[in-house]
Amino acid sequence: MDERETEDRALMSRVAARDGAAFARLFELHAPVALGLLSRILAERGEAGELLQEVFLQVWMQADRYDADRSSPRGWILMLARSRALDRRRRRESSRRREEIVGGESGGEEVQPLGTERLERRERQRQVSSALGLLTPDQRACIELAFFEGLTHTQIAERLAAPLGTVKSRILLGMQKLRQALSA
Amino acid sequence: MAAAPHSTRIEELLPAYALGALDGEDLRELEAHLDAGCAECRRQLALWERDLEALAASVPPLPPSETTRARVLRLAAATPQAAPAPRAPRWLYFAAAALLLLGVWGAAGQLQMRGEVRRLTSERDRLARQVATLDHEVDLARAEARQAAQALQILAAPSVQSVVLAGLGPTPQAAGHTYVNPQTRDALFYAFNLPRLAEDKTYQLWFIAGGKPVSAGTFGVDERGTGRLRVENVARPEEIQAWAVTVEPRGGVPQPTGAMVLKG
Repeated sequence: MDERETEDRALMSRVAARDGAAFARLFELHAPVALGLLSRILAERGEAGELLQEVFLQVWMQADRYDADRSSPRGWILMLARSRALDRRRRRESSRRREEIVGGESGGEEVQPLGTERLERRERQRQVSSALGLLTPDQRACIELAFFEGLTHTQIAERLAAPLGTVKSRILLGMQKLRQALSA
Repeated sequence: MAAAPHSTRIEELLPAYALGALDGEDLRELEAHLDAGCAECRRQLALWERDLEALAASVPPLPPSETTRARVLRLAAATPQAAPAPRAPRWLYFAAAALLLLGVWGAAGQLQMRGEVRRLTSERDRLARQVATLDHEVDLARAEARQAAQALQILAAPSVQSVVLAGLGPTPQAAGHTYVNPQTRDALFYAFNLPRLAEDKTYQLWFIAGGKPVSAGTFGVDERGTGRLRVENVARPEEIQAWAVTVEPRGGVPQPTGAMVLKG
């Protein structure tokens, strides 16, 4: 366990005991990455900011449920964020599908973000995380669809029009490579 | 269905399971195997989950806005302290032990009752926390509604004067609008697409009247680059010739010194 994680664990215990200063510090340390992850999943900055508030409020309210044997505090926070963002994304997609059914052709229009927001998003997408950079483009696409969009094997196969078996092996090999890269 | 025995094939389902990508027969098979209590798979699953945490942390960080930070900390502060899990006083243990020693039947009932009291106490604390959070949300919503009503009062005035501000120099994409109600002398200002500033800087709004700049206040922008300012008691609104926004040291200055980013 590195120094960062040791401090995080101490902070989590204090947050569980309702220490506001420890909570502020935890926010300062982990909110930027959590916001990055929320924005990546939701592809919408305003909604991500709103969800960030919900995630940290959950951290504050449920700090006593954090299980130190299962994950690091940072991992716990990020997985809370991922799960909430995927829920929100699925809800948004299912309501969009409903609108498409009700609204016919006009329902499917995508709202284009403003100029700077679009540039900012493109810039973020260009910044390849170093670990993912070692995967083949196919492996990476499959893992990103599962992790950031919450798709299953079958859904990924449909989305990429690839055989199911191929998708399964891309994910397996990709995850194994990812582990090697992370432990290197 | 009997759980499948441990095998390399089962192990190979774990990374996709951790990702949440497993479905169909694979998912049923692995869950039955895990439910049957395979310790090795649990251990490996925890390792895959750790790898995913690292993947989550590899996204480029984005600093949250000051508004978001302030709101989170305010909401947390408004949530009452959870009462620590009630501990039974020491004498109760002695009493329970004594009752057991005496072979009195009621002891078991008492212990059960204490469990129930503990459960209800923690349920009450949980509800109290929820109520406090909702109260606070209501306060915030009221404040937002008040702001919206004030804005509407200015915007809906028949003689409202509006000015569009255009981005200058390094921020050509920025824009701004001002609305002044000459009767009430209230003004509203909105800025869009302005970059966020360093901690020691602020945006400052000015109106030019009689050839001289007069400060209308300072403002910051949120993560979308949007800023808002309400100005009260604008002196002689009819004499305003122009509006401008400059970048100034935090707290603002009496006369503009920094770069002008919006003008109209």
